[in-house]
Amino acid sequence: MKLNRTYLFWALWAFLTLFVAAIGARALYVSGDRTAFLPGETTGVHHQFEVACETCHTSPDFSDASKITKDLNKTCVTCHKEELKASNDSHPIKKFKNPRMAAYWEKIDARFCTSCHLEHQPEETLPGMVTLAGDFCVACHSEGEQDVRQNRESHADLGYETCASAGCHNFHDNRALYEDFLVKHGNEDWLHPEPKIAAAALARNRPRSGEDEISMYLASLDAIESARDADIEHDWAATVHAANEVGCASCHASEAETAEQIDEQWIAAPTEAVCIDCHRAASQTFALGRHGMRRHPEIAKPRKAKSALKAIGIKNPPETLVSAIETYLDDPAPPAMMSTSEARVSLHPEAMGQDVTCTTCHNPHSENVNFTAVEACLTCHNDDHSLSYKSSPHFALWSAELAGDGPAGSGVTCATCHMPQTEKGGKVLTNHNQNDTLRPNEKMIRATCMSCHGLGFAIDALADPALIANNFSGQPMRHIESIDWALKRVEQPATDANQ
Amino acid sequence: MYSKFGKLKAAVLGGALALGAMQPATAEEGLDYQTVSDLLHLVMSSDRTVYTRMIVNRLAVQEKVITASEHFEDDKALVLPAQMFRFGSEMVAEETDAFSYSLLSLWPINKQNAPTTPLEIEGLEYIAENIGENFYGTEELGGQEYFTAVYPDIAVAEACSKCHNEHKDSPRTDFEGGDVMGGVVIRIPMD
Repeated sequence: MKLNRTYLFWALWAFLTLFVAAIGARALYVSGDRTAFLPGETTGVHHQFEVACETCHTSPDFSDASKITKDLNKTCVTCHKEELKASNDSHPIKKFKNPRMAAYWEKIDARFCTSCHLEHQPEETLPGMVTLAGDFCVACHSEGEQDVRQNRESHADLGYETCASAGCHNFHDNRALYEDFLVKHGNEDWLHPEPKIAAAALARNRPRSGEDEISMYLASLDAIESARDADIEHDWAATVHAANEVGCASCHASEAETAEQIDEQWIAAPTEAVCIDCHRAASQTFALGRHGMRRHPEIAKPRKAKSALKAIGIKNPPETLVSAIETYLDDPAPPAMMSTSEARVSLHPEAMGQDVTCTTCHNPHSENVNFTAVEACLTCHNDDHSLSYKSSPHFALWSAELAGDGPAGSGVTCATCHMPQTEKGGKVLTNHNQNDTLRPNEKMIRATCMSCHGLGFAIDALADPALIANNFSGQPMRHIESIDWALKRVEQPATDANQ
Repeated sequence: MYSKFGKLKAAVLGGALALGAMQPATAEEGLDYQTVSDLLHLVMSSDRTVYTRMIVNRLAVQEKVITASEHFEDDKALVLPAQMFRFGSEMVAEETDAFSYSLLSLWPINKQNAPTTPLEIEGLEYIAENIGENFYGTEELGGQEYFTAVYPDIAVAEACSKCHNEHKDSPRTDFEGGDVMGGVVIRIPMD
């Protein structure tokens, strides 16, 4: 009977193996949670949508490697395209597609984002999601015509690990760092004579409603009786919303046209959809930043059981199978909003569990620029830089402006630098992508710093981690020599090798 | 419209061009690589000359109403003729692999426009030494065989030689009107 028992064990082993394989294959190819298959922690903020694998992995199953690479790289630019375009990319893909660059493809194939930015590689990922060694510039800029040590006398003894780490160069965005820009702004003082942010000044100087206009507005309110509140109404009447004839029903019963309909359709707490109806530009930039990226339209929706079955060859799946899968094997989707509990930056413990939405920072019934631009941020953020803000010179300027002691636009809030404003056709737009001026932080130089500071000071300050941590209380302790070298080269052009 | 362009083959393009031109070839016969390349170059060099003479040289050098600058956005200036040409070539690269082109020189201001392949060096040297002649050859790049043509790029206006002679990054400062300053390289992958 020994033989029979062996067969039984073999059969049991085969059954269990197939069973486990089937569960895995089901999750991979049909429906269900796939986090067990994540090959490594996703980098940076990509964790916000990592359960939606199809956001990046769009190739059909069993595609060949070159198709997978191409498809994967297409998905990077669905979200990062505008940013790269705005950055005046120094190494755009289109530049490397020409076959004359074939020799460079062997070194670093810059036709593909994934040559430098590999996902799921937490152990070897550097800042900027770079997965190459930090001296990657050496691959192309150390030989022949491209040899920077030959082209720039000042660079003769520099190590390639310093190119992109010392505040001098970035692979993509060099808008504030290119040589002629350094020369043009090379002799500026650390602070301009009348430092202020022009767009912010324009916003603060907007005409406000007077008491007469407020009383007139209050007389024509369209709120339902049960929702009336004198304080809220008075707050609201003074807002730009009210001045632009946005009333209670515009948000609380946005589809209603008559008083009866307002009564019927009244919603106590409208969702952000009503904000987005008008504030499209803000909502688009919000979806590009860390706070709002879960709203990005390119994040893949959960898999549909029917099409998943079709993809594995079951052409006409029985309805019962489809509904059974949908009932018992729901495909997970990232939540619609980012919650503070999931953040990977340092936040106050008491701020946990909040969804980030428009009203997290914007009080719905009144405008309180100090709350929106400072206090809302500090409610959650708990890192050295945030905690040091209120002892910084920037905060002192903001306090002075709030108190009426400083001119409009002279105060520097969290939002001044992290959500910079621009003027377009007399209107002030706020960039709601809080990450747009970061990573690398030199993106901030032209967008905000240079409104008040000279280029040299801005470069030095942003290259000094200790100064960033204490929120710019003091002068930079580091000096980046790029401007000195650029000026020297213009003043003594004959010393260079290629002259 | 551009997606059709993506499938462009030398023979098809040749046929289309031949319909309204004096070329005796028919769509069925197709055109050889050299003819296609010559025709492409004719369009490129004509547009390039028009932009250089009628826009940049006229407005920036003769009438002095606006400058031309490589940092055209920051300086609110005209795009340089070489940049105009390169932007066009990059746009083509985004749309199709059926052909590619670039503007190169043995004396490039921007080092990325120095020759990178042995045939580019040979071609640029040939057109600089044999005035008025083009250079044709084949080369293998990234596992693909290419027909490669190099056409002389001439200083067609004062703006060309003036800027190249005065630029701080220019390796050569003695250009004169009519000089060969570089070459247009056109590549067509061979079947």
